[in-house]
Amino acid sequence: MNTTVEKPPFLGFGLGLRTPHYNDLLDPDNEDAAAIDWFEVISENYLVPGGKPLQVLDQIAGRWPVVMHGVSLSIASTAPLDYDYLDALKRLAARIEPKWVSDHLCWTGVHGVNLHDLLPIPYTEEALEHIAARVIEVQDYLGHRIALENVSTYVTFAHSEMSEWEFLSELARRADCWVLLDVNNVYVSSFNHGWDAKTFIDGVPHDRVVQFHVAGHSDMDTHIIDTHDHPVIDEVWELYDYALRRCGPVSTLIERDDHIPPLAELRSELDTARRIAAPVLQAAE
Amino acid sequence: MARPKARNKECKSRSTGADASEQAPTLAELQARFQDALMGDDERVLDLIAENARERTEVLLGVYRNAYVVRLIDFLKNDYPKLAELTGDEQFIKLARSYIAAHPSRTPNARWFGAKFPEHLATSDLAREHPVLAELARFEKALNDAFDAPDAPCVGLEHLAAIAPENWPELTFAPHPSVELLRLETNAVAIWQALEADETPPAPERLAEPQQLLVYRQALTAHFRALGAEEAMMWREAVRGVAFGVLCEMVATFGGEADAPMRAGTYLKGWLEAGLLAGTAAPSATNTD
Repeated sequence: MNTTVEKPPFLGFGLGLRTPHYNDLLDPDNEDAAAIDWFEVISENYLVPGGKPLQVLDQIAGRWPVVMHGVSLSIASTAPLDYDYLDALKRLAARIEPKWVSDHLCWTGVHGVNLHDLLPIPYTEEALEHIAARVIEVQDYLGHRIALENVSTYVTFAHSEMSEWEFLSELARRADCWVLLDVNNVYVSSFNHGWDAKTFIDGVPHDRVVQFHVAGHSDMDTHIIDTHDHPVIDEVWELYDYALRRCGPVSTLIERDDHIPPLAELRSELDTARRIAAPVLQAAE
Repeated sequence: MARPKARNKECKSRSTGADASEQAPTLAELQARFQDALMGDDERVLDLIAENARERTEVLLGVYRNAYVVRLIDFLKNDYPKLAELTGDEQFIKLARSYIAAHPSRTPNARWFGAKFPEHLATSDLAREHPVLAELARFEKALNDAFDAPDAPCVGLEHLAAIAPENWPELTFAPHPSVELLRLETNAVAIWQALEADETPPAPERLAEPQQLLVYRQALTAHFRALGAEEAMMWREAVRGVAFGVLCEMVATFGGEADAPMRAGTYLKGWLEAGLLAGTAAPSATNTD
């Protein structure tokens, strides 16, 4: 079953599309905008009837490669898949033709409720079977592979039977899906649960990693919370370097969800990523 | 391959914990319990959480419990920023928590979570005492809804010029999907405007006459404008499908015979210029096609 599949293209260095940057991005002469290779859009932000969000999105997708990143797939939930949501995703994908569609390896609610959070799962064979079947169902419906992202977690479950990276690897193999490796989340979870971040990165299937997320977080001393509201710290850049050396050139995204700084500041973070990635990109040429 | 350190702790926790003999829960049971812990004060999920070397599991579960509420409050604050400003954080959080408890999110999209907040507010003690709060929320919701309402072409003045005079009495109008007519009994809009301009808002008060307000989208931005009672009446009837000839008669009845068709025509011209209409239909013309 483990056929070699061709990865989607390497897109370079991108940013999450955020409303405070709309004006800069729509200005054809803006130099910071010109320095961004691609955009990741939060799918739900554009699952609206009409108006400015979709109008801006059309323009962005007309100029840059885009990928869709969702937060509500709830792939690990025991609630039935939400086909209204999948249908809306599929229509948005048909409209903007993303290079890939991603969401998180987590659940967001059961019994009809959406808790709007990326909730942890037990790493058990039962969960693996359940989630793999759902990924296959979603991919069949959407007509292409999806990418699943490792989330930051603050708790683990006592009856887990394997490590997170073993779980993620086996899921990707069984469901034949891509991996979105969030380097910051690896860092956060490794700190919170006391395992080695590099072991995680060593353990995921490198040929399935289509995207990296690099972000900042909030250090609470005894635990770290994945807030995406700070600049990237040196330790996460080091881990990014390590992941690149393991996976080869992978489309890289700087993720910032809160305290969104001016475009120029994020561009300089992208330039840091470019500097770190340069040797790996050269070696791959 | 190295196992997560937490696993060692787990074994200890399971052999010494109160639920050591408990069977591993199914994924469905675990999720139900976890959700109960986030939405209420049921903490039984703690029995399933592995011990952590640095922090108590209650605190770590607390990260999720806290994030759940904070995120939903943020959604509401994002949708109702002026209401939050007017009430202040403490009151707003109280109102938000009451809404979150009564209306847990059932939508995959945060955009729609706060849709019933104005209705819910209207039933709160605070808002019953201060009716301006629910009206301010209704106004903010109307602005949000206009902003991302469905797209539709707007018909302009030139469209009307193409309609034969004999078809005018039969002409009916379709509103643009972004348009909503609000009727407000308080000075909620004046308060919104002051807050928008970073000025001290006027004291809340009940208006002598209800304010009629069209909220709509123009050039991708939400706009609003106050209407006189007569124009508001004509808009309400027009979007119900009443034909222009009858609208003119209604205007005559409402505000006097003299110049009635002229007044109706002026209102109509304003609607067309503001892009409030998505189409017109002249039944007699289409019937004969």
